[in-house]
Amino acid sequence: MNTPTPAIGRTADPSPRISLRKAGTAIFWTVLALYGILTLYPFLWLLISAFKTNTDFYNRPFGLPESWQWDNFSRAWESSRLGSAFGNSLIVTIGSLVLTLFVAALSSFILARFQFKGKGGVLAFFVVGMLIPIHSTLVPLFILMKQMSLLNTYWALVLPYTAFALPTAIFVLTAYLTSIPRELEEASFIDGTGLWGLFFRIMLPISLPALSTVTILSFLHAWNDFSFALVFINKTALKTLPLAIANFADGYQTDYGLTLAAMTLSVIPTIVLYLLFQEQMMKGMTAGAVKG
Amino acid sequence: MHALRSRRFIWMGLGPTLILYALFVFVPVIWSAYYGFFNWSGIGEAKFIGLDNYAEILRDPVFWRALKNNVIFVLASVFGQVPLALMLAVLLHKSNLLQRFLRSAVFLPMVLSTVVIGMIWQYIYHPQIGILNFLLDALGLENWKLEWLSDRNIAIYSLIPPLIWSYVGLYLIIFMSALQNIPGEIHDAAKIDGVSGARKLVTITLPMIKNTVQVAVILCISGSLKSFDLVYIMTKGGPAHASELLATYMYNSTFTTYRYGFGSAISTTIMVISLLLIGTSQWLTSRKKGRA
Repeated sequence: MNTPTPAIGRTADPSPRISLRKAGTAIFWTVLALYGILTLYPFLWLLISAFKTNTDFYNRPFGLPESWQWDNFSRAWESSRLGSAFGNSLIVTIGSLVLTLFVAALSSFILARFQFKGKGGVLAFFVVGMLIPIHSTLVPLFILMKQMSLLNTYWALVLPYTAFALPTAIFVLTAYLTSIPRELEEASFIDGTGLWGLFFRIMLPISLPALSTVTILSFLHAWNDFSFALVFINKTALKTLPLAIANFADGYQTDYGLTLAAMTLSVIPTIVLYLLFQEQMMKGMTAGAVKG
Repeated sequence: MHALRSRRFIWMGLGPTLILYALFVFVPVIWSAYYGFFNWSGIGEAKFIGLDNYAEILRDPVFWRALKNNVIFVLASVFGQVPLALMLAVLLHKSNLLQRFLRSAVFLPMVLSTVVIGMIWQYIYHPQIGILNFLLDALGLENWKLEWLSDRNIAIYSLIPPLIWSYVGLYLIIFMSALQNIPGEIHDAAKIDGVSGARKLVTITLPMIKNTVQVAVILCISGSLKSFDLVYIMTKGGPAHASELLATYMYNSTFTTYRYGFGSAISTTIMVISLLLIGTSQWLTSRKKGRA
């Protein structure tokens, strides 16, 4: 075991070390490539299998489909009500996004640029709220929604999505707005701009980078949410995409290709957005997680 | 300058935010604490029963199994995700094309709906068409084939690979930005001292990002308490409650049997557990910092 050869080789003859290093690099890239394949394979499998017939699932589990079943997609679209689910997801996502951005930006502007009594209390209020695990509110929120007759409405999703997106949004935006120099608003006061003008015409445009982080976080949260939709919505016409896909799978469990085609269709928008904005998404989600 | 006007502006701006946040984040907490003392099926009179719901929870073996499964999820995240993400972060620190591609691939599951992720893994584990069992067949390991999700002894462990797979990207990005924040002088000093490779990693790099690792561990703990979607989609907490988590336990005992009082008591219990856990981990890390 403890032969002195490697030590001698290291000082006298560099070639074994170089070949060792080459082997190391080779192993390094092999491991990385393997991990990459492993991590992407489930998606690749989903995409390929969406074109298969049921017999292909048994006969060619790893291969390409014997014939590409394009009509899996059209059948999935028709039988799964994906169109209405897309519409519902779009409505609740945009609704909560607009509400979150407006309310959070206005509050952050106030928290970052004004000195007033009770400011510390307001900030502490948001910090404490961040400690509440979101799922532990499912049952009481359900009771609350029922008492407010909001169950099975878009509001049942828009309002909680907004409320739970608020703390992170406010922290991201307040931190950003605090860093803006005072001279800017002093100049605008001299120009006679009011507080609302200052907010809409100067603060909103200037905080665009922070607003885009908030947009990404709120979009992904609302678009992908399953648990709130599961508990607050049971009218088929109002089901959002994740809920519709989950229910569809329960109903069509034996037509594998059809279910997988519906799943594929449902992830396409997110994957396209990810390809376009991946750097921002990575940064935004890590900022959200660490602050949240 | 316009003290009165700006005071009106401040509370007009903050008011809607505070009301929205209080109503959908704090009121549920108070509600669940209150209804936890009642026997209530959602309709009719709620009957005050004192601490009976809590006594029932503590006597329920399913609650303890759910708690244990949550602990298993925390351990799997801390000892699976964190080391894997650290390793990948070190390996992917350069940004050539392949490394950037791998980073994007590893992060991709983070932006997709957990519903689709859970369903993909359901198919991977599928007893008839699952590629995992086909793979074991192909490798001549028929004996290793299992009923991955319907065997009560292994179901909870089968949920760990999808859990790790879907969140490792988040920790990867967190660690990568921590590694990038190590000042260049430290790398230079290490070079001058002739420290490199594995020794540099253990003696310099890892201690430099110790705080980030602590943050990641806290994220693992709070993330595990948030797990609901993945388990609900893949096993619904079954078979026979074997893979129940606290959140699915709460869902299943509230909405399948209409016991809103009992469910509220579980909500409050989850809240207390998570506050205790977060409090303890914060206390531990701050105590360590105080000593250092």
